[in-house]
Amino acid sequence: MTQIIKRNNWAIWRDVIFALFVREIRTGFNDKFGLAWSIVNPVAFIFILSYMRGRMDGGETHTVPTFVFMMYGMLLIQFFLEVMSGVSGSINKNKPLFAFRQVQPISSMLAVSLFQTLVKLFVFVVILVIMYFLKMEVVIADPIRLMINFFLVGLLGFSLGGMFAIAICFVPEFKKIQSMLTRPLFFISAVFFSLQDIPAEHRYLFDWNPILHAIELSRYAAYPSYGSVGVSESYLIESTIVLTFFSLACYYSFWKQAISR
Amino acid sequence: MIKLNNITKYYPSKLGNQYIFKDLSFEIPSGHNIAILGSNGAGKSTLFRLLAGSEYPNKGSVETDLNLSWPVALTTGIHGQMTGSENARFIGMINGVADLNLYEKRVRTFAQLGAKFDLPVNTYSSGMKPRLAFACSMGIDFDVYLIDEVTSVGDAKFRQKTKQALTAKSNNANVIMISHEMDELRHFCDSAIVLHKGQLTFYNDLEQGIKHYQAL
Repeated sequence: MTQIIKRNNWAIWRDVIFALFVREIRTGFNDKFGLAWSIVNPVAFIFILSYMRGRMDGGETHTVPTFVFMMYGMLLIQFFLEVMSGVSGSINKNKPLFAFRQVQPISSMLAVSLFQTLVKLFVFVVILVIMYFLKMEVVIADPIRLMINFFLVGLLGFSLGGMFAIAICFVPEFKKIQSMLTRPLFFISAVFFSLQDIPAEHRYLFDWNPILHAIELSRYAAYPSYGSVGVSESYLIESTIVLTFFSLACYYSFWKQAISR
Repeated sequence: MIKLNNITKYYPSKLGNQYIFKDLSFEIPSGHNIAILGSNGAGKSTLFRLLAGSEYPNKGSVETDLNLSWPVALTTGIHGQMTGSENARFIGMINGVADLNLYEKRVRTFAQLGAKFDLPVNTYSSGMKPRLAFACSMGIDFDVYLIDEVTSVGDAKFRQKTKQALTAKSNNANVIMISHEMDELRHFCDSAIVLHKGQLTFYNDLEQGIKHYQAL
């Protein structure tokens, strides 16, 4: 006889998220490259672009080596975009699984986020290793601050993705709006430039964007000499908390109806 | 006993809300193997999904102290890119099976897919997928199995096996079943619920239920 464990809610959540996580790994990559592609692709992309840009201006951007400068920008924006699109697509993708009452949409949202977080952490490590072998200087002055920023970017992606996921269940057109809104993010989030390059009177055009804050602060955490002109940690934290709260509130009120349509 | 309290369920559509149930209250008695009878689109599968907690009613609630299975339809929760054994383990993990290896072995024996059990489900024939889905549900001990036209796709041998498995479980488990084949239902069930125009009627005797259903 098969024994069923009586589990409390947390244990059910844990098991379900783990099962979905494994499933994500197993089914996300269907070709011969498999899981490796999720690492190789961003590493190659980030590396080539950063390296070329670094060669071009031959040195440093506001005291940070241009390669590192670019690398943080691209890593964080990719992390954000992929968590967000993963989370917002997760409800639709896993819809058949909600037949199991143990599986709730938020479990699949968390599983996707967890997966993307691990992938991007691994990408970061691989890039650091490559830098080491290329005899580039690897400096991270404040790793804890860097990790906090990384986490906040993930949480931002999760919250915004979650809001879109719920909205898409009711109005599928939100999917298109989402891709339209996220497209410029690559260019306005200080990936290719620094807020320091913008004249102070025009910074208001950019500094509403918490991801820009996260990217600039990550560079600052790695190289304190870079400075944190025009950005603030507290703005990043506060906007993340507000968005997370709002997103979870939306989720809490609408998830049952969202999967019952 | 499964209690439906004032359930309202509709699906939004271009033509306005399509009501399946309006303020429906009903008690499904336990201890019966129940056939659900109703024409296409009457709401049989929706009823199942509400019972199992796969979906939620727009108003009202479903109450039960029984451990219900998920609605075992043709390929619920089965992923085409995963192998049969991976799918079984996934389902086992979600349902909190204590010993996954044992469970996987049980599913393997029951489904009788041979070597195909270790191949991706995409490569299965249309009759084999439901067998896997069904075997997955049979491998777990539920109080009530919700079975949605799964048994009708199996071959004679598999049906025989299904019958045996359900009989073996009949001491402490029941089945609620949807099927359009009356022979199928006579095989497994003893009573019936007729679903017509959003109303449920329970018949203690299956034949009586079938007669009423066919007269509709």
